[in-house]
Amino acid sequence: MNYALLVQGAPYSQQAAHSALRFAHALIARGHTLGTIFFYHDGVYNASRLATPPQDEPHLVEAWRRLHEDHGTSLLVCIAAALRRGIIDEREARRHGKAGYAVESPFELTGLGQLLDVHSNHDRLVTFSP
Amino acid sequence: MLLHILNRSPASSRVPLDTLRAMGDNDWLLLIEDGVYGAVGPLADEFTSIQGRVFALKEDLVSRGLENRHDATIELVDMDGFVALTEQATQTVSWY
Repeated sequence: MNYALLVQGAPYSQQAAHSALRFAHALIARGHTLGTIFFYHDGVYNASRLATPPQDEPHLVEAWRRLHEDHGTSLLVCIAAALRRGIIDEREARRHGKAGYAVESPFELTGLGQLLDVHSNHDRLVTFSP
Repeated sequence: MLLHILNRSPASSRVPLDTLRAMGDNDWLLLIEDGVYGAVGPLADEFTSIQGRVFALKEDLVSRGLENRHDATIELVDMDGFVALTEQATQTVSWY
């Protein structure tokens, strides 16, 4: 089956993102496809390329990126939730005159409408929220 | 069958009551994260009306030091079992 996950919890604040990651690995181990992860609300912090956790702790941003590299999972980030939290990509940084940026490929800023498409294009959508 | 996924404890939240009210006769309930506190008696009594349809995520019980403390009427599943439940359910509903 083709799965999608909706992640609404920030990394290292609540358990949601960690639960989602463990679920992601488990569903792939069972032979399913993880087509998309959609990051919404505080979940957008999972997309920050600047995240630098201690080396002996799980690196969530890196783990999401690896899902994309190893399994082709799309990593979609709600643009409205992200911009207001300072989670912007290079293009948005230029547009708003900011010196730095926090989002880079394979994470993609996208509209909330994409979540509706994700819902209809996948067999299962499972929400992980704080 | 819908799989309801609950991450709130009956001891600290009224969300479990909303979940129970919304559940259909054939729906299943999976307790995860802080929701697993509801798998331990006497909080497990909250779920007697849906006995036989309640599951709890083993990893989250273990990480809270509650391994083997859960009520006998509640079935434990690991992450693999969690995925299996979502296979059997037509949809999932997360309560938080």
